[in-house]
Amino acid sequence: MTGSYEIMVANAKIRYEFTIRRNITIIKGDSATGKTTLVEMIREYYESGENSGIRLKCEKECRVLAGRDWRMLLEAVHESIIFIDEDNAFLPSKEFAEAARSSDNYYVIVTREGLPNLPYSVEEIYGIRESGKYASLKQTYNELFHIYGREDYAGLVKPEYVIVEDSNSGYEFFSEVMGKRDIEVSSARGKSNIFLEASRCTADCVLIIADGAAFGSEMDLYDL
Amino acid sequence: MLSVFYGDMPEAIYNPVVYFKNTYTDDWITDDLSKKMIQDVDRSVVVGPRVIDSPVLGGISPRELSGGVKTLISIYKVPDKVFNASACGDNCAKWILRIGEMQDITINLRHLMDFGEEDFTLKVLNTGQIVHNMYELLLIAGMIVR
Repeated sequence: MTGSYEIMVANAKIRYEFTIRRNITIIKGDSATGKTTLVEMIREYYESGENSGIRLKCEKECRVLAGRDWRMLLEAVHESIIFIDEDNAFLPSKEFAEAARSSDNYYVIVTREGLPNLPYSVEEIYGIRESGKYASLKQTYNELFHIYGREDYAGLVKPEYVIVEDSNSGYEFFSEVMGKRDIEVSSARGKSNIFLEASRCTADCVLIIADGAAFGSEMDLYDL
Repeated sequence: MLSVFYGDMPEAIYNPVVYFKNTYTDDWITDDLSKKMIQDVDRSVVVGPRVIDSPVLGGISPRELSGGVKTLISIYKVPDKVFNASACGDNCAKWILRIGEMQDITINLRHLMDFGEEDFTLKVLNTGQIVHNMYELLLIAGMIVR
């Protein structure tokens, strides 16, 4: 499955509209923002269709994966957008990561855990926020917003020290570029070592060069 | 005192929402601290033990509270059990600290919860160290979880 998919799901009290762009989308954030309500509405619409009182518009089938029999269910689901709530113990497992990577579905996962077995983009981590009300219906309108990755840093970055995830050509390139500016560069030799490298560093302003398409699970560290 | 075990902890209750649903009693909801947590995190008002007024969902039962509040109340009311507090958002962190000031509790965190800019006291069970702010905590917990 490739491409972007718009999803609208609504009942009398609440309405969500958002676009899914990649195979893994993470939703996290504060409690009581409507994450579980969204997953519940997807589940109820899948089970009862329009008889649920829920309206859902999406080009692909949307459904929920939950419970101990997740493997069996996943084997039978294709070309769908699968929502998973945070209360599923299989989420951080290697087995789930392997099954998700080898399937042709998209996944919308509610979790605060990093899920290091499942590479996902910094740009596909979202929160949910209320963006208004439809006055006559008293319906709350919720939207997804990017938590990371949309700021424009052009002209603002003046690092004293640079840490590069890569140990080969990327490290050599930045060593060459930064060397001309007398800025020290080190290689972390992998994304999971970057935090250790950064915590040893005494510089006030550190620039980390990493692959954003797979760095999502690490972002909490640098956000804090 | 608040103690935290970071990472996988098989003996912890991974799904506090299910635990809450099957164990809570009316007095859990009408407790003063529970009412304050429901008001602050869910922006909802406890009308009675079985009715809560939510600004988004209208009149709801305790079963429809957020996962974060259900976890907070479970931590508060059943301090001898260890709950997966990664079911709580950062807006629950100050309440976890407050419960930890009132009684000895242990929680399991599988992510880096932000306990805020104020000083606090917390024991990291993985290493036995006691920390007093987010910077000290991050240097330890950041090596264990993401």
